[in-house]
Amino acid sequence: MQNIISDPDQARKHDSGKERKLIGDRGDYFLNRMEGETGANISACYQCERCTNSCPVSHFMDIKPHQVIHYVQLGWREELLKSSTIWICLSCEMCTTYCPNEVDVAEIINHLRNMAAHSSITPKEKSLAVFHQTFLEVLQKSGRVNEFRLMNAYYLKPDILHERIKNKALKEDLLLGITMLRKGRLKLFTPKSRAIKEIKRVYSQTRGEIV
Amino acid sequence: MRLSFYPGCSLEGMANDYARSIDAVFRNLGIDLVEIEDWSCCGATAAHSLSQTMSVLLPARNLAAAEKLGHDIVSPCANCFNRLRFSQNMIKKKVFDIPWPVTGDIRVHDMTRFLAEPARIKSIKERILRPLNGLRVVCYYGCQMVRPPKITGYTDYENPQTMDRIAATAGAQVIDWSYKATCCGASVGIARKEIGESLTRRILQKAQQAGAEAIVVSCPLCQSNLDMIQKDRSKRHTPVFYFTELLRLSFAEHVDPKWFKMHFTDPVPLLRAKGLLS
Ligand code: SF4
Ligand code: SF4
Repeated sequence: MQNIISDPDQARKHDSGKERKLIGDRGDYFLNRMEGETGANISACYQCERCTNSCPVSHFMDIKPHQVIHYVQLGWREELLKSSTIWICLSCEMCTTYCPNEVDVAEIINHLRNMAAHSSITPKEKSLAVFHQTFLEVLQKSGRVNEFRLMNAYYLKPDILHERIKNKALKEDLLLGITMLRKGRLKLFTPKSRAIKEIKRVYSQTRGEIV
Repeated sequence: MRLSFYPGCSLEGMANDYARSIDAVFRNLGIDLVEIEDWSCCGATAAHSLSQTMSVLLPARNLAAAEKLGHDIVSPCANCFNRLRFSQNMIKKKVFDIPWPVTGDIRVHDMTRFLAEPARIKSIKERILRPLNGLRVVCYYGCQMVRPPKITGYTDYENPQTMDRIAATAGAQVIDWSYKATCCGASVGIARKEIGESLTRRILQKAQQAGAEAIVVSCPLCQSNLDMIQKDRSKRHTPVFYFTELLRLSFAEHVDPKWFKMHFTDPVPLLRAKGLLS
């Protein structure tokens, strides 16, 4: 991450024409909000990059974990919600576990993912976002998630079929499915839970509906 | 002794062999597992990714049902265990309205730690009929069972020992290695296959480099990831066992090769070579 240059004219020149955001142009509003909602001490971060170095997928991310923390401090909300990072993160908790300042990096990224899911921003990693969404839909329909139902529902989502034909995942999935079926690992029908109604109710509450 | 059992969705589907081996082992140990009445999915990664409220409420429903029974809960799946513990933690903070009566006070064990307690190790030892002599294994714990330590309660999260202890008790030769708690990438494994596979492949490679003939796991997703990636038959394969499968094997007088028919990477040749299967 480059240093932020405090002289606005210098900064713009430095970025060769690109408009650069400056420190504190939103005050600390976003930082305070994130600290309040996650309970994480984001201000304690001193950019040692230990989180990024412990992260197994940092090289697939556009904003690295330590940069995420810095962006939150700077109030750069949209950049974060538009990033691939929030979807690529595996929630493996390496970053949180190894941060010397006990900054809960994984929770911060997870919270940003929650925020992105409730915003109008198109997720940069759409296939991942749609997969999570599909999982919850199947869960609501049967109370439990069966692999076969999940994959079927996922393929029926707009663009997913097309994407998976293009990257040859469809062929692999079909072959895998057949082998799984042969080995008895794919159960087409599994019992549902009677919880469906309760779960639906809870779900509509989370969407702010009065039930 | 009685415990509430929260199987989780995978054990009904692709990890049915895990469920059967658990059943056999606990029967043999004389511990009653009572399945939680009408349990529902814990929400896994999807729920906490999209809605924090759902990630607290979905496990809470199962905690409430278990509290009614009053026994401790034991969970065979790393992710379910993690989500149940997380939910308990949040319930105690009292910032969510839970529609079910629940206090969050019941104990949630992960199955490996429960069976690795000294008293259980002793009774496992007493029941071993065929020690797995000469079987060289590494134990792989993954991320959700051990991290974050504040939730899971693991103090040796860098080098967990529970499964190592169990496998050693069963007579296997347990090898120390560095990738015990590295993530296998299951949460992105379907939607972004290449990322998931790159992580899983590295774990497999490191296990083989450490000299393991088999990998021992306790999570249905770790198992399927490590097992199914070994499609290339020309390469060396390394079967992936649930730790309860090894226990079942060492407890049994007669072993049926059919127990392992759900494996992609067939462990039967290895077990035959070791004289553990006729
Ligand atoms: S490990 Fe902690 S202190 Fe270091 S950069 Fe990451 S969040 Fe900041
Ligand atoms: S939780 Fe996410 S950001 Fe943290 S180490 Fe794991 S993958 Fe990386």
